[in-house]
Amino acid sequence: MTAVATRPGTTHDVEDVARRAPRRRISPERIAAASTLVVLGVLAGAAVVRTDISIPNMIASWSNAEHFFQRVGTVRFPDPVTLLQQTALTVGLVLLGTLLAAVLSVPVAYLAAANTSPGRGWIAAARFVSVLTRAVPDVVLAMVFVLMFTIGTLPGILAIGIHSVGMISKLFADAIEQIDEGPRAAVRAAGGSRSQQFTAGVLPQVLPSWVATVLHRNDINLRGSVILGYVGIVGLGREMSFAFKSLDYSLGIGYAIVIFVLCVLMEVVSSTVRAAMLGVAPAGGGLGARALRARQRRRDQQGARDHQGAPDQRGRADQDGSIDAALRRPWTRTRVRNTVWGWLAVAVVVGSVLVCDIAWGDLATVWAKIPPVAAQFWPPGFGSYGAPVMLDAVFDTVAIALAATLLALVLSIVIGSFAARNVAPGAGVRGGARLLLVVVRGVPETILAVVLIVITGLGAQAGTLALAFGGIGLLGKLVADSLEEVARGPEQALTAAGATRLQRYAGATVPQGFRAMLGHTFYLLDTNIRAATILGIVGGGGVGYYLLNAAQGSNYATVTAIVLMILVTVLVVEGIAMWMRRVFR
Amino acid sequence: MTNHHDHGDAPAAVEITDLTKRFGDTVALRDVSLRVRQGEVVVLLGLSGSGKSTLLRHVDALELPTTGSVRVEGTEVHRLHGRRLREVRSRIGFVFQQFELVPALTVLENVLTGSLATLRGPRLGLWSYPRRLRRTALGHLDRVGLLDRAYQRADTLSGGQQQRVAIARALMQDPTVLLADEPVASLDPESSDQVMRLIREIAADRGLTVLCSLHQVDLALSWADRIIGLRHGEVVLDTPTSGLSKAQVMEIYGQVATSTDELTAIEAELQPLLDAAERRS
Repeated sequence: MTAVATRPGTTHDVEDVARRAPRRRISPERIAAASTLVVLGVLAGAAVVRTDISIPNMIASWSNAEHFFQRVGTVRFPDPVTLLQQTALTVGLVLLGTLLAAVLSVPVAYLAAANTSPGRGWIAAARFVSVLTRAVPDVVLAMVFVLMFTIGTLPGILAIGIHSVGMISKLFADAIEQIDEGPRAAVRAAGGSRSQQFTAGVLPQVLPSWVATVLHRNDINLRGSVILGYVGIVGLGREMSFAFKSLDYSLGIGYAIVIFVLCVLMEVVSSTVRAAMLGVAPAGGGLGARALRARQRRRDQQGARDHQGAPDQRGRADQDGSIDAALRRPWTRTRVRNTVWGWLAVAVVVGSVLVCDIAWGDLATVWAKIPPVAAQFWPPGFGSYGAPVMLDAVFDTVAIALAATLLALVLSIVIGSFAARNVAPGAGVRGGARLLLVVVRGVPETILAVVLIVITGLGAQAGTLALAFGGIGLLGKLVADSLEEVARGPEQALTAAGATRLQRYAGATVPQGFRAMLGHTFYLLDTNIRAATILGIVGGGGVGYYLLNAAQGSNYATVTAIVLMILVTVLVVEGIAMWMRRVFR
Repeated sequence: MTNHHDHGDAPAAVEITDLTKRFGDTVALRDVSLRVRQGEVVVLLGLSGSGKSTLLRHVDALELPTTGSVRVEGTEVHRLHGRRLREVRSRIGFVFQQFELVPALTVLENVLTGSLATLRGPRLGLWSYPRRLRRTALGHLDRVGLLDRAYQRADTLSGGQQQRVAIARALMQDPTVLLADEPVASLDPESSDQVMRLIREIAADRGLTVLCSLHQVDLALSWADRIIGLRHGEVVLDTPTSGLSKAQVMEIYGQVATSTDELTAIEAELQPLLDAAERRS
């Protein structure tokens, strides 16, 4: 190797440059935001301590777990008839609830979307409905409805239906706002009415995204149905809660496994439906979506071979030249497929209605009960517990959420980084990390919480671990995606300058992905606060326990107080998140 | 000490031998051989898709040859790994068409990333770089006339300013070779002028070997010691610029730019006429 030529140094007077260089100004707001982040981090660290998460504790839990599994002995499943009945009931109830929410969401979304809404007032009102329904957990609704209706599926359907309007209508409205305005303008120009503009110009554009949203929400609702069982909604969740309450652990674990399998199956089914109805590859990262993508790739290759050389004759209506003949839409393979799927969907819905055996009579009689019950919700009050106990419980819930978020964040950054194509040292590592995330996400956190609570006993520790575990599945994937989405150029520039892999990660990848990761972390914190409340119902510590007690004791004023406290907390977190996004843009 | 103006005796800064690069079925570079002497300013001329970028990227081992070899200052860069590769890369500055600054970082920190090869471990935040380097970086920013923008976010700057920051980043490496891939293709004429002038001045000041891809003939002529024309991944022209007139260059450029497909098409059209003429005779 030849010697490197002498490099002429800079001729500038370094002192002079340093004198003329501008002073670094960091805006006070940025300092405040950074300090807030630090404070939150410290609080989260303190919360980890408060929730008793430590290595010795984990080891202690482990011996507990061994003990527990000895007691469980063999896993026992319910008899096939009960199993089938309960599964059908759970699936039917969740499906109908989601469907109800989808139907209710259409007008809400229409009014909330800026480009279809008749006025600002309507937008505000519709958004309020969306926020309100999202704020009140379906479990709370279910607890209230259970007392108002005769025992059956209707409380569950209504609870899921009303709560899901929050998320579905928001995503529906987002989809409407993102449409290409052209087709709608064309319908308007042709003299179409408002409703015609919607059906001809808007609906065809948003339908794929709407279907995806509903299917996604259906998966979430199925996972959530476990908790609904704990407050008395019929189905697998209730059977499991009965089993655990009567200390029949082997049957309880059996139900837990059934629910887990059901969740995976539902994901596969919803991916299939998405693919079949929309003819698009499922974009999800779940197990079902993956299996489907692989299958579709094979089929596409097959299809490409089949069609080679042969001109496509399908869909041509004018082959014999007669208009009359063209009036009959030809039964192409696509049309046959769509029709079959369509009728299948109708059959599933009708089946669900039959299985659920809805007490329609309740819908007529319940209205009389609403005003007196509703009146009891206001004004909020702490009932016999008193403010200090309640506030302490809310702090517990927030501590669980914070601790779980911190634990999830730390592990997500590690796993998520290895799962990002531009960070992982090799395809094998990346694949392994992605698979790990998919598996983690596959476990419903409610099931995990229930099992952990049985193992480690009631309390914050179980709730925190369950949430942290679930959080890795969500945040790990989001971190991986945010890192993969950064521009490749700056990374390459650093490589070209001789930086190491780790230097490139810190110097180009992380700074570009930071804002997205910050947003995702706050999103997780937000979700965790809501989830921590609900996990309290099954014994995961925090305010949820009091929520359950209050609802079952008909202390509606206390229910309102707790829901309001959680709502305020979530709003504060959301406010901080928005501020952070603005400051660290 | 090498005399940078005596090109005849200087050892090769970059030497490419029989370089072929395939991406799947496409041949991006075919049997390219060239020698760039130390201190020489060479412009790669050609249309987009002619292989200019791929060639430049091979010099920094951002791409690896399918066959052939790439030597920089006598070292075969495509055979290096790890620390040795990074060390060679640190002596080669690379200026990209799209600047490739990290948008969320300050201008100064972007410049500092050019010094990463001399540092151990990952760095994030200005405080993580030694004071000595921060001073040097400010000096380079002053050189490109952007000292007053040091603490602004990189994405608040105009395109021309961003490219000047990218040049300061390359200076931070204290390079001996400077590669520039269409450095002004994304800039308006005024900024282009400024950036090209800056690169030329810096190259002269420091005696840098420069390999720069361009598609503007005027710029190439006023700027380079030597022009290398590429077409469909092959070197079709390699000539010193001294004594060349613009007309000559335009002619050469036509030669570089005209697609062989066009020629074949014209020939195909002419063929029946020629055949007919032949039959008549």
